[in-house]
Amino acid sequence: MALAAALGIFLLAILGTPLFVILGLAAMTAFHMSDVQLSAIAIEIYKVSSQPSILTIPLFTFAGYMMAESKSPQRLLRLSDALLGWLPGGVAIMGLVVCAFFTAFTGASGVTIIALGGLLYPILKNEGYSEDFSLGLITTSGSLGLLFPPSLPIILYGMVAKVDIDSLFRAGILPGILLIAILSTWAVMNGVKSTKINKKLIWGDVWVAFKGCIWEALLPVAILIGIYGGFVTTTEAASLTAFYIFVIECFIYKDLDPLKDIPRVVKESMSLVGGILLILCCALGFTNWLVDEEIPMKILDFMREYLTNKYSFLFFLNVFLLIVGALMDIFSAIIVVVPLIVPIAKEFGVDPVHLAIIFLANLEIGYITPPVGINLFISSFRFEKPVTELYRACVPYFILLILALGIITYVPLLSLALVR
Amino acid sequence: MKWLSTIDDGIEKAVTGALFVTVLLMIICSMAIIVMRWFNSSFMWLEPLVRHLVFLSAFLGGALATGKGTHIGIDILGKYFESKKMWKAHLMVNRIINLASSLILIVFVKLSWDFVQVEAEFGKEVFLGIHSRFLVGIIPFGFSIIGIRFILKFILSFGSQNKGAH
Repeated sequence: MALAAALGIFLLAILGTPLFVILGLAAMTAFHMSDVQLSAIAIEIYKVSSQPSILTIPLFTFAGYMMAESKSPQRLLRLSDALLGWLPGGVAIMGLVVCAFFTAFTGASGVTIIALGGLLYPILKNEGYSEDFSLGLITTSGSLGLLFPPSLPIILYGMVAKVDIDSLFRAGILPGILLIAILSTWAVMNGVKSTKINKKLIWGDVWVAFKGCIWEALLPVAILIGIYGGFVTTTEAASLTAFYIFVIECFIYKDLDPLKDIPRVVKESMSLVGGILLILCCALGFTNWLVDEEIPMKILDFMREYLTNKYSFLFFLNVFLLIVGALMDIFSAIIVVVPLIVPIAKEFGVDPVHLAIIFLANLEIGYITPPVGINLFISSFRFEKPVTELYRACVPYFILLILALGIITYVPLLSLALVR
Repeated sequence: MKWLSTIDDGIEKAVTGALFVTVLLMIICSMAIIVMRWFNSSFMWLEPLVRHLVFLSAFLGGALATGKGTHIGIDILGKYFESKKMWKAHLMVNRIINLASSLILIVFVKLSWDFVQVEAEFGKEVFLGIHSRFLVGIIPFGFSIIGIRFILKFILSFGSQNKGAH
């Protein structure tokens, strides 16, 4: 009976049934088999409304979508071009940095590729970069900034794993910079080979471009100072960011009309937020059941037979998470997998903050891992290219990110230096 | 079929309007909390109100995601059929998903309504004189809207038999 139910749920899941439905069904089945009243699932769902950091999810996402819908990408690209355009590979580096900025705000939801891809692709091609390099860079950049604050996956991880979100924000900064640095090196190598530089660094142009986007360019700095200077909590930072972006995009830059454009932005951003929060709601019942049944401990006992130390566990974790990342999107993976691996990792002596960064870095790579890495499909749709072409274009980026993942996994100090 | 499509469009517009108001209220109330804190003052009801607005927005946003077909899922088979341009198989998969989701959501509505009834009997006023049964009522209300949209999508998919999944 249990096996048949599990098979049925699995089949519905791989067909593509919404994950919140699958998790709710799994919870109903588990509660029914354990003779627990089904209305207990509704009690678990309602618990989400008492999570203090829940407000950060809709407000940061809304702010990110407002920026993506405005002319903010053009302004930031102009600044980056003025700053880095003279450097071999500078245009590609500018793409990486601006994409990381947007992904940190939009939560690697594909918006970065949609909003910036169309702007970046012709720029990269005009500079002389190959088709594969340009497509691979944009596809990879679509998830590049998710280790930077105030990324949605970090907030969600903190809520699910019950790890301090402020610490996670700090922990992600150096590994996030490492990822950009490694990809930038690749961009410079390609830039030297493929492009001709005919620009110079002119500080006057930099100043003009900076003045043009000053309200947006200083935002990440303001958020970090606000949170770590003790002026505001993460939740308050989310409120201030949403309000601030609303004011600057609607009344200072006047890129968005409060009555015509904002309802559309609300619709776009909240359908993503709704999808994520519903999964969070419906997962609570099932994951609590898993913990009550001591499933993580049973997995741990099994693993101890094959994995003898922390390093072999970390290697196994990387392989497992890369597979998870290729099959599930990051939000589902956080909600379903994190409650299982957190207690196991603790037993192997892995720091919970370091674990979070390893987890998120793996899932970041999962976005470009075939067969179902979501960025591959978004780029395929956006640039009207076969998905197999995107698989090929992303291979060098995948290898470089795996290299970075190795460093992030086996050098814990990189994640923990700013936390301690 | 056209009148069903009109109902679906009506739900979409109502939900979008409700979400617009909810998000604006969220921002206004959360800003009010911050400003009041600067003056060492607060209203105790503001924070739970904001949290429940977020809770409501989860269901309203979920209803929009249902209409757009953008719910997060492990879409291995669907993506495979799409990449191979097997539109009939893709349409069939979508119908199975919509039907299964509709049926499961009916059960969700029932079990969350049971919770509302328990709250009606044993609950209490939470903030601004609002009884907990109304706050808990967000769950069956939200699941009902999402469920109705899944049912409409399932029925309406038979009107697009020859158009494939797109």
